[in-house]
Amino acid sequence: MNANTFRRALVRWSAPLLVLVLVSGCATGPDPSDAEAVAEFKEINDIGEPTNRAIFGFNRFLDKVILKPLASGYRKLPDAVQRSVHNFLNNLRSPVIFFNDILQGKPNRAGTTLARFVINSTIGVVGLGDVADDMGFAFHNEDFGQTLALWGLGDGPYVMLPIFGPSNPRDAIGLVADFFADPLNIWLGNIGYEAAIVARGGLRGVDERARNFDALEDLERSSLDFYAAIRSLYRQRRTDQISDGEGSAILPAPTLGGEEPLFPAPAPGGEVSQMN
Amino acid sequence: MAVHRCLWPALVGLVLVAAAGPPVEGATDAEARASNFIDALAGDAIEALTVSEVPRPERIARFRTLFNDHFAVAAIGKWILGRHWKRASPDEREDYLVLFEDLIVVSYVDRFAEYVGERLNVTRTVAVDSANVTVFSEIMRPTGGPPIRVDWRVGSLDQDLKIVDVVVEGTSMSATLRSDFGSIIRRKGGQVAGLIAEMRDKTQSLRK
Repeated sequence: MNANTFRRALVRWSAPLLVLVLVSGCATGPDPSDAEAVAEFKEINDIGEPTNRAIFGFNRFLDKVILKPLASGYRKLPDAVQRSVHNFLNNLRSPVIFFNDILQGKPNRAGTTLARFVINSTIGVVGLGDVADDMGFAFHNEDFGQTLALWGLGDGPYVMLPIFGPSNPRDAIGLVADFFADPLNIWLGNIGYEAAIVARGGLRGVDERARNFDALEDLERSSLDFYAAIRSLYRQRRTDQISDGEGSAILPAPTLGGEEPLFPAPAPGGEVSQMN
Repeated sequence: MAVHRCLWPALVGLVLVAAAGPPVEGATDAEARASNFIDALAGDAIEALTVSEVPRPERIARFRTLFNDHFAVAAIGKWILGRHWKRASPDEREDYLVLFEDLIVVSYVDRFAEYVGERLNVTRTVAVDSANVTVFSEIMRPTGGPPIRVDWRVGSLDQDLKIVDVVVEGTSMSATLRSDFGSIIRRKGGQVAGLIAEMRDKTQSLRK
């Protein structure tokens, strides 16, 4: 998809989306005199909740009729095949991860990404094998949404994107930026192979869905409000990714002993403040 | 005399640490205890739940025992309800805590043992404060690939250790339930009774 097709798609889809937003409206705020409820409303930060729920319903329908059956079939393939596909997709993503490592000022992680790309593209046979991992260069992911977060941009209100799922303005910008910065996408667009870009995106979706199959089944089955559980999990996951997995030791949690410490102060600056 | 009074507890502490086996490098006594506690939980879970011939009601009963023995069930339940706990009537509180235990037990009974199977490795421990330790562990996926990060928040009350939160890949079980339950209460017009009704329906459907 080159810039023009993308723009055309944007124009085509924005009108019905806008209608959806206008029809569904915004979340009703709490009674302004109830300070705790107001604080909670701000922390949930989901001003478009009715719209988001409608889009979530649409996404679940698409999942039911397309993505889930595909992922379910994909899971029947031998583990080695699934692993190779996953490795291949990870390897294709290396340039974007590398750019973001650099933009985040993490030269060591950039070096790891570069080494992985060179090793896996060659010895790993076009990225099908993850030989680099055995050599001590473990995979890590990065995206421009995380980079923007490290640059100090807040996430903004929760947004449910059609097809792409949970997001927020910051991460949506990141999604678009990563798409246009991806050298493979640029090249495929230039030689007129837009279909390959779509196929790659689709395969990534199936791989991701298959890897989270059981976790999503469990969550859908056991949660009381699937939408709210997904919203919470998305934000926690993003906070964890932004901190490169270092933030979880200090999350607010229940404590033992007495009534008072049951509500510990949230850690400063973390996503955790939205959990309370 | 003053010197001796200070030395004795230290010596006793040293002996206790030595008796507990080699703790993680640089870990305090509390961290080593929490780490051993999680190891023991994994062992108990395998023993109680991995035998496939056990019928489901018996598995549920065993998991309930395991859950109550190792988790601070009431403290977690109260924290999840948050500000709504204060507004709930005594009857609602009692119903809620019973249903909370039921819901977690029937939600997790089928996956827990498979999850904390024999591939759990404790990687490090961090003392959060004087009473709480986070035990970091990794669980290897049976199909290969990078291990899953699972952090256990272990709280202590006197000498009793209990898990207060499980954090999988940075996502907290307690925080997710808090959002889930909180959303239901909001949608039921702020009524805890509305949440209790939903919990009752869900537990019944999961028990089948």
